[in-house]
Amino acid sequence: VRSFPVPLALFLSRSPSLSFTRAPSLPLSLSPDKDIIYICPFSGALKGKVFITNYRLYFKSADADPAVTLDVPLGAIGRVEKMGGASSRGENSYGLDITCKDMRNLRFALKQEGHSRRDIFDILFKYAFPLSHGLLLFAYLSQEKFEENGWSVYKPMEEFRRQGLPNDKWRVTFINANYELCDTYPTILVVPFKATEEDLRKVCTFRSRGRIPATGGGYEGDDAYQNAELVFLDIHNIHVMRESLKKLKDIVYPNVEESHWLSSLESTHWLEHIKLVISGAIQVADKISGGNSVVVHCSDGWDRTAQLTSLAMLMLDSHYRTLRGFQVLLEKEWIGFGHKFANRIGHGDKNHADQDRSPIFVQFIDCVWQMTKQFPTAFEFNERLLVTILDHLFSCRFGTFLFNCERELRSKTVSLWSLVNSDLSFYQNPFYTPESNRVLYPVASMRHLELWVTYYIRWNPRIRQQQQSPVEQRYIELLALRDEYLKKLEELQLSDSSPNSSHLSNSSTPNAASPTQHITHLHTPF
Amino acid sequence: MARERERDPGVETVSSVCDSSWALFFILKNKYLLEPCASGEIVVNEVSFVRKCIGADSSHGDLWGKLICTNFKVSFITHDALPKQRFQVANRLLGEHDVPLACVEQVVTVNDAKGKQKVLCSNQKLKFNPTELILYCKDFRIIRFRFDEAGPQSAKKVCLAIAHYSQPADPQLLFGFEYVGKQYYGSLVNGVDPGGGLQMPLFDRPSEWDREIKRTGASEWRVCSINEGYVVSPSLPEYVVVPVSLADQDLKQYLCFFTAHRIPLWCWNHPNGSALVRMASISDPLQQRKLDQRICSAITKSHPQRSDVLKSDLDKNLPNIQDIQAAFVKVRHICVIEPFEESEEKWLSSMESSRWLEYVRAFLKHSAEVVYLLEGKHVSVILQEEEDRDLSCVVSSLVQLMLDPHFRSLTGFQSLVQKEWVMAGHRFLHRCNHLKKNDKEESPLFQLFLDCVWQIINQYPAAFEFTETYLTVLSDSMWIPVFSTFLFNCPQQRTENSMDFAKSKCIPMGEEKALRFPPVWDWSQQFTPKDQALFNNPMYVGKGATCVQNGTVKSFRRTKKNYSSTLRGMPSSLRNILMDGHDSLTLTRRNSLVPRLKPDFSQIREVVESPTERFFRDWVSRPADLQGMLIPQLLPSHLALWRLYFLRWVPEASIPKGGPVTAYHKLSQLADEVEKLQSQLRQYKGATPASTPTSNPSAPPSDHSRMYFKAGSTHEPSSIPEYLSSSFPFSPVGNMCRRSILGTPLSKFLNGAKTWLSTETLANEAL
Repeated sequence: VRSFPVPLALFLSRSPSLSFTRAPSLPLSLSPDKDIIYICPFSGALKGKVFITNYRLYFKSADADPAVTLDVPLGAIGRVEKMGGASSRGENSYGLDITCKDMRNLRFALKQEGHSRRDIFDILFKYAFPLSHGLLLFAYLSQEKFEENGWSVYKPMEEFRRQGLPNDKWRVTFINANYELCDTYPTILVVPFKATEEDLRKVCTFRSRGRIPATGGGYEGDDAYQNAELVFLDIHNIHVMRESLKKLKDIVYPNVEESHWLSSLESTHWLEHIKLVISGAIQVADKISGGNSVVVHCSDGWDRTAQLTSLAMLMLDSHYRTLRGFQVLLEKEWIGFGHKFANRIGHGDKNHADQDRSPIFVQFIDCVWQMTKQFPTAFEFNERLLVTILDHLFSCRFGTFLFNCERELRSKTVSLWSLVNSDLSFYQNPFYTPESNRVLYPVASMRHLELWVTYYIRWNPRIRQQQQSPVEQRYIELLALRDEYLKKLEELQLSDSSPNSSHLSNSSTPNAASPTQHITHLHTPF
Repeated sequence: MARERERDPGVETVSSVCDSSWALFFILKNKYLLEPCASGEIVVNEVSFVRKCIGADSSHGDLWGKLICTNFKVSFITHDALPKQRFQVANRLLGEHDVPLACVEQVVTVNDAKGKQKVLCSNQKLKFNPTELILYCKDFRIIRFRFDEAGPQSAKKVCLAIAHYSQPADPQLLFGFEYVGKQYYGSLVNGVDPGGGLQMPLFDRPSEWDREIKRTGASEWRVCSINEGYVVSPSLPEYVVVPVSLADQDLKQYLCFFTAHRIPLWCWNHPNGSALVRMASISDPLQQRKLDQRICSAITKSHPQRSDVLKSDLDKNLPNIQDIQAAFVKVRHICVIEPFEESEEKWLSSMESSRWLEYVRAFLKHSAEVVYLLEGKHVSVILQEEEDRDLSCVVSSLVQLMLDPHFRSLTGFQSLVQKEWVMAGHRFLHRCNHLKKNDKEESPLFQLFLDCVWQIINQYPAAFEFTETYLTVLSDSMWIPVFSTFLFNCPQQRTENSMDFAKSKCIPMGEEKALRFPPVWDWSQQFTPKDQALFNNPMYVGKGATCVQNGTVKSFRRTKKNYSSTLRGMPSSLRNILMDGHDSLTLTRRNSLVPRLKPDFSQIREVVESPTERFFRDWVSRPADLQGMLIPQLLPSHLALWRLYFLRWVPEASIPKGGPVTAYHKLSQLADEVEKLQSQLRQYKGATPASTPTSNPSAPPSDHSRMYFKAGSTHEPSSIPEYLSSSFPFSPVGNMCRRSILGTPLSKFLNGAKTWLSTETLANEAL
């Protein structure tokens, strides 16, 4: 295994979509005087320089004003292809086509003379797909340091205790401590009290891949298997979802389908799938809040099951709507229960047509976003967290979403939660109002579901790039204003109580130099 | 006004009486008073033991009460005092269950046993005793009453009365005349004051136009009074603004060549001197070229840089009023008539086939392109439309909203509607179809405009002083026929009808030209000051607003030049050109917005971006200045269905304790707290004269909070009130009762139904 000098944290920005300000050290940069042309779908061909490190591809245009930059983590690259040949005619017909996993495609053109694209293609192909070349994923090379260690966010026993587990209905078992029972399940499990270790072993033999029923969380009640009511939720399989998102990409990138937008959107079925997942989760949550236990399963129990259990838990348990609770939820239901991130995303693997790939997790995050839209005050985190999670779902910078199951080694990587928890305020929803016992049922209707444009259509330069929702931004401004006024008021009250204060009597003749003069200019629009 | 409850059981229905003396007859003969009851209101007919349906599939929660038809509204008074329904904003002119007759779009009677249904029109007979009455309302409500326990004859009479009185034969039979006329009988002190207390221009006086000319720096434009007394054009306002270089004599000479004698009207001036003008078409083709030249050269002369004039033909580029009406009917059908679950699957494509959002986008886009011409190319623009009374109203208002932050304040917005709609002669009477006489004339231009405004608010939520609730309530006010704003086709019609009515009722008019109909802007007619606070946007960043930058509080002081700030939104190359005043032709050439490209580079370009697109993209790449130009995002993916407006009555679509209002609630509380702190700080300062001029002119006295939700006394975390929902401040409870669950969807059997049938047909075509 080869490793490379690691680019340092100084140019690892918070989100891959944000550009960095300092020129990075470039262990793999191209010859600087080689011109490359980025065929921007919006402003046309742009000359510039491209830099490639073992983490990212960075392009900066030379003569466009304002400069056009691209900043793509190599992990987000799904496919690199050569475009045209040495004898191709026409301008810019010779170059590279890059298909990204984050809803964009990039096209670069180079001079046809002297196989000019060969080295850049080779480098990209190798480092965008390190696993196909016997190299390590970038997450193993990163030596980023954060104040907090994100790997300690989720402590299973603590989380069980929070839910009042174990109790007389459910018990903790260490039967899977060495992943002997099931290698895609966590080491510590909560199972029905009456189920003996012997039972569990028996069940395993006829469940797919040994995945026994285990508690999702917060679920109470007994007789889980008696008088079972079977509900089919009509949620489609991973292949349908993959094709759906592909179709969505076709209508939003590079240009938004203008003439028949809504029917085009409908024909992708993306929102319809979102609706089915959410309404499935509502049914699960509703049964549970009605005192019933629910067994959720799909064929393997790591795709739709994870979506449904985690969404139902978000609806039922307000703890999971907090910033840290949400991390626990993802660790527990997705990572702990073995959602096959490596296969579904295809990290570092050149096989772009792999049928195992599917945007199941993207779809789940979209469902969460839909819930935050319907309940703007119910979640402690903001949209930025969700976008950051999806960015690093692909980036391979953190170990969080790299693996198929908990067992695979993560300790050599940094957790995404290290980044997030070192800067929590950045991801905080200012409108958050804790309501500990509230069950949250979104309206799973096309009337309310909407396309998450700030994620899916964020690469379009005709759209204002907003760091923050304007509503959120204004609220934060008002909070700052309130604090400023409180401070001023406090100062005035202090000076008021001092014996030689006389500003009150002077107030009718304002003096430009008076320290209180400033206040008269503070006007809110109210 | 007395609120006694006198009843005379022997009153006959008056549904067959149909002349202008009926009202007077009843005023003298009867004293039916309801609560709340508007001045001049009388009871026509009533029936007791009526059940108002609340749930669609069961009678659970239904209300018992008396159904009353007055000359103003359909009223339902519950027999028992009821616990208040889920929160719904209260209107001073209406009770909780009332519907103004003008809001009733269609009256449907049903007899379950006989399997009969009939859409009732004025002066019709009903051959069966109805067991059920369904009112389809212009504000999208569907209200159902059942008569199982009521007297069959009385029930029938009430139904007939509602059908009859909701279709008045003459404008003077609209309730507003009775409402305002009544004021003249009593003490004039308590009378309706038409905007006297309002601090906004109504543009019915030359001085108000003068002020607008000064405000926008349009020094080369003047107020012209050749239409005083409406002598030259009945549809124009008495005072119009024209280029200084055109004398009254010239105008008098030109006016006969314009459709309906509508000479060009000045709308607004850009700080760079470009003017926005609206104009009817030139009816005489022989005069077309000559007249066009004269008008354009006069407008050019009024431009400080003598810039070119561009004409934008709205009829060619935008959907017509029938298209818009068809789209509106369809979108309404999709939102409130179609069964909720069944329409889910095809929701998006149905929305598309309605074309409503497409039209919203078309108007926004066209307006944005005009903005580019005025701001980016600094040329004057003429909006031309056949009659200059429909599409022009939408486009000219939108252009001004995008360019001039003044119109994004509450009073500014109201003055804009007054200027570009009411005074410019938008045919509200016909477009609202208040008389339900001419369906071809009905068209929701104003609703379309409000939707466009909502789209901009939705994208720039801190740029407007008012909320979407305000826009919704404004739209609903069209169906309360007492406001001068929405009752007439033009100011002249108001005068004429007032005179006729006053004459027939022997009302002493004195020196007044028209009856004192309140403008809708006198919101105290409808709402308490507390409820009016629902109009105020707690996020608004207005002039003189404080904002926080990089953690420190900064305040913008109002600049003397009104919108110098719009210049900030321009590309630097333009700004330079704008500052030095050269000849317009050279300017235009130098100022080409096609990006200057190096020769070798231009050859390899694949994408051709139009100058307009480039201008928008440049603007988007800079931080938005809410006090400057605002261009809405025009991609279809970024335009949304105005859910509050279209879905507020749909129970299935309501999100309990959810929706944007939950954030609004917190914003309102915080803004209230900031406001309180501010006033405490002011008290420390004592009364400072310096603060007065910069305070917002539309703000009520400072002791009165402008926020609807008040800050809590302590710092305890405020929980969300139970009554909040995505429909707030409206409630679907009792306002939406579709019948489809009980059997055949109603829409399937409505033969002879004008609007609802056509929607059905359209829906089938689309499928």
